[in-house]
Order: sequence, then C-alpha cells, then structure tokens
Amino acid sequence: MDETVAEYIRRTVLKIPRDEIKTMLEKWGLLSETQLQTINFRQIKESISQDVVQLCEENSVDIKQAAVLDIIYNHVYPNKRVWCVYQMKKTGEEAEFFDLTDFKKKFKGRLRSALKNVTINFREYEDNAIWIRIAWGTPYTKPNQYKPSYVVYHSQTPYVFISASVLKSNLPLLCQALVLASNYHDIREMELRSHSLNSLKDIVFKRYSQNFQTHYPRPLQERNVAPKSADLRIIQENRNEKERIERVNREVFGDGPQPKLEFAQYKLETMFKSDPQMDVLDKKEPFRCLVKFSSPHLLESLKSLAPAGMADAPISPLLTCIPQKARNYFKIREKKHFFPESFVSP
Amino acid sequence: MEEGKRNSAHGVFAHLERLEAEAREIAVKEEKMKQEEEKQARLKARVRELSLQRDMLLAKVRLQKKRLREKRAMSDPAKSSARAVLEWKIKNIKGMLQISYLTGISGKQTKQGVCFCISTAYESTYLDSYYVHLLVKPEVQIYQHSVPTFIPLEEIAKKYLQTDIGRFLSVLSDHLNAYAGRKYQADQLQEHFSDQIEGTVQRNSLCNLLVFNYKVSSKSKTFPFNVRLLYGDLCCSLPTEVNVSCTPDAPASLAEMAAAHSDLFRRVALHKAFRSFSSAEESVDGAP
Repeated sequence: MDETVAEYIRRTVLKIPRDEIKTMLEKWGLLSETQLQTINFRQIKESISQDVVQLCEENSVDIKQAAVLDIIYNHVYPNKRVWCVYQMKKTGEEAEFFDLTDFKKKFKGRLRSALKNVTINFREYEDNAIWIRIAWGTPYTKPNQYKPSYVVYHSQTPYVFISASVLKSNLPLLCQALVLASNYHDIREMELRSHSLNSLKDIVFKRYSQNFQTHYPRPLQERNVAPKSADLRIIQENRNEKERIERVNREVFGDGPQPKLEFAQYKLETMFKSDPQMDVLDKKEPFRCLVKFSSPHLLESLKSLAPAGMADAPISPLLTCIPQKARNYFKIREKKHFFPESFVSP
Repeated sequence: MEEGKRNSAHGVFAHLERLEAEAREIAVKEEKMKQEEEKQARLKARVRELSLQRDMLLAKVRLQKKRLREKRAMSDPAKSSARAVLEWKIKNIKGMLQISYLTGISGKQTKQGVCFCISTAYESTYLDSYYVHLLVKPEVQIYQHSVPTFIPLEEIAKKYLQTDIGRFLSVLSDHLNAYAGRKYQADQLQEHFSDQIEGTVQRNSLCNLLVFNYKVSSKSKTFPFNVRLLYGDLCCSLPTEVNVSCTPDAPASLAEMAAAHSDLFRRVALHKAFRSFSSAEESVDGAP
C-alpha cells in the first residue's frame, strides 16, 4: 500500500470523534468483523489510527477505497463545510427517466477527458441523494486528496449543492460535467450559502413549514393550549397587542422550525436620505453600504424578534423573504417599492 | 482631636461622645427606615386605590356590554330567531368548507388571491397535501407553493395556468397523486417485503424508475430475479415498461414465471403483486 494512502487514511481517522470511529469503519466495510475486533477503540486516537492503517495494509486498500471513508465522514458531519446552491436550467422537455449509471458514466467521462489526474467517488443514499467526491490534480501532479470538492445532487431536481472548498479554477469544469451528466443545458450559482446542508435542501425543496391558508383545521392545534403558568398577580393589560403580534408572526414564519442559516448579507446601493437642510452629501450618489446579519440560527432569531418586543410586527419583508426567495445575499438598489428605512429601524 | 481627647484624663467624656455619635447614627437610620416604610405603605395604598378603580371601571364596562346584549336580544324576538337561522347556515357552510379538502382539491380566498390545497391519496390511504398560492392580479401567477421540485410545475403552469386554471389544477393533481401513489408503493415494498428483496432498491426522486433484485422460490430453491420498472406516464401510478429477467442458467419454467410476473407488475400495484407472490408460494408449498 502506498505511503500516501496510509497517511491519508491515518489523517481521515484522526478527524473522526473517537466514539464514532467504530461505526464509521463498519459503514466503510473495508475491514472485516474479525479485523475490527482486534482494534482497541478505547486507546488514544493516534494509536487507533495506526491500528487501522496496519489493517488496511493487510487488505491493500487503494486511494479510491480510502476516499469512501472521507465521504462517510462528510455525510455524517456536513456542517463543517460551507455549501453553495447552484441551479440548472433545461431547454425543453427532457427525459424524465434518470439513469444513475448513465449519469455516472457521463460525469466521469467529461472530467477525465479534460483532466487525467482526478479521483472520483460516488455514493448513493436513501433519500435519493448522490454524493460525489472529486479530488483534483493537474496534468503533472497527482490529485490532492486533502482538498476535495463535494457535490450533492438529488436526481430529477435542478439543484446541486457544491461544497465551496473547491479550487476555484476547477469550478467551471465541474459545472460543465454536472450539466452534461444530468441532461440540463445551463447552470448558475444561486445567492444561497450556509453550513447546514439540510437547511439548504429544506429551502430549495420547499420542505420547511410555510403557512398556507386553508379552511380546514390543521392538526397542530397545540399552540392554543397551555397558557404559561402565570403569576395571578400579573395581569396582561396588553393581551390584544401580544396576540396580534403572535398571529402576524405565525402567518409570516409558519409553525414549524426554520431552516438554519448563519447570515444574511445586504449590499445597499441606495441614496442616503437625510434632512435636506443638513445637506450631508452634496453629491447625489448612492451610499454604498454592506449590512450583514449573523447568528447561529438566523431565521429563528428573526422569528423571535417581534414577540420579544425588539421589532415591530410585521417584520420587514426584506428579512422574511429569505426562505421564499431562496437567497441570503441581496443587492438593494433604489426602487419605488423598496423601503430601506423600515429595514434599518429596530 | 480625638487622640488628644483620648490621652487626656477626660476618657469618660470621650466615651460619652462616642455613645452619643452612635445614638445619632442609629436615630438617623431609624428615621430613614421609617420614611421608607411610610413610602411603601403609601405606594401600596395607591396600588390598592388604582386596582379598585380599575375593577370598578371593568365592572362598568361589563355591565354596559350585558345591557347592550340584552337590549339586542329583547328588541325583536323574530330578529333573534332569524339570527339563529343565519348562524346555523354559516356554521353549516363553514363545516362544508372544512371537509371540502376531502375531495382532493380545495381552495380559500386570501388577501392576495386564492390558496389551493391538493390532497393526495392512494387506494383509500390519505397521503401528503401540497399547496399552491395563486395571485390573480395583474395576471394569474404562482406566488408561493409547496410542490416538490421534481414535479414539473413550471411546465404545467406554462401550458394551462393562463388559459384554464381548472385544468392546471387537475393536471397538477394528477401528477401529484400519481407521484404519491408510486412513492407509496415503493415505500410499502421496502417496508413489508424487505425479506424478499436482495440488496437495495434503486429509486429516483420521482419514483418513476425502480430497479431491484428479488428472490423467487420454486421447488424449494431460490432464484434471483432482476426487475426494472419504468413509469413512462407521470400521471399514472402503474409502470409502462417492465423488464423481469433471471440468470441465464435458470430452468425454463422460471422464464414463464418471469413473463407472468412482468405482466402482473404492469397491471397490479407493486406491493399487492408481492403480497400475491407470498400467498401463491404458501399455496404451492402447502400442496402435497
């Protein structure tokens, strides 16, 4: 077994938290039951990884098989990477039958015809997700296994999730291969980025809870039930207003949990509106400004702004349109029906 | 100054002065506390006053409301019975609107337009509901929806939305119901017949291409069959193309069985077909 493969396996095992190593090796399936039983998983990770490398030597594992362990790790911990969403377009009616073998063949073929030194791995998962791992090389060097790109694609959807640690020069080739393999004809980057892959999927596949108005009662009526164990001496004088705020909030955000985004960025190219007497800017130029909201869970924090009394309900549509427009990077220009003021006020 | 006093022979005076100072401090503290208590008592009294006032006002408001209601009810007994009839009618219609979703397509008027709910079902099992919120001005367009991305919503909208909303909804409902039906069959297959399936079932998002291997037992030996189900019509929950194949070295009787299975898959729901296999096998094994 090659030195580089051994080193790669060792480093990949070291990334995995100690309690997860055994399950991931079992999923990997390259080491037999008896071999796994010889490893003491209670020792320090350094020693565990040495043992694993030893056993892989016995099985003569090659780099392609080692890469599968990397995919398994990234599938369990996708939130360690930043994912970008790309949307593909097709011209007319395309064949609705997605053939996995055909897809793989075309994808590999396109990449290999442009670049001899690539390592490509595919892995399919139960939820129709196809994970592709690509390690890039150059015509003169072997693929760099430590900076792979990851692509997650759900068949028959126009969306592709690409992990942004790609060496930028290889991105056009990757996009070309994806478009060709999936029978689309164009691809563009959406302004949607996050660490949470599942939340990105929820947003573009519309799996998050949107509030639709219907006549029939929804099963989730629990929200009307428990009034908080109130101190009877405290009387809500403002009950109507509180209920109005909660109702409006619910209409906008829905009942369920929000997708997890870490930030929203607004690039303002609007005119600065000041008191004309103050005459702050004598040139009528757009006031360039970048506003960035960050949070461990941006949409949940926006949802709790109005009930906490920190903002007026309804919240500015610039903030609430994020899941519906499927973007968290915005450019705001001077337009009649945009209100930059309402977005600035607390 | 104090040192001098301490050193002098008049230690008693110093002691007395100290006591006096202490007494003064204590008196000041007591005074302060008394003031605080008085302030508290005053505020409590004020609170009581205000809550009494508020209770009185609330009682007044309640009384007035009651009087108004009585007046309204007493004013015309005929009116009140007409009112009761109206209320009953409204309740009836509301109930109808509530259960209209059982028809599969229901809608509600909203501020911006109309929100349609398409409920899917397959052979007496209700499955998921999908929503499409349409704007009506300036032209009919889709505002918001919860239709999965692999359903060709844009194509259907392009064809029918502007001309015939009813047709748009019915075509969309066909697509969604067929998808829900195919998905239900595939899920049932994997849930209830996993012992007959070898390996994984290869599916895709629309559930219109299924490829898997399953075991067939004949004369107490098991043979692997490979089946490829292609659902060419997206509005249909039965496959248009079925390929059942067995290994080349299998006995000839199996080829017949493969053809029979192929025909069965084309006509009958997937999980029902498998159920008939297991019951057929039981009857075969049971036969002497």
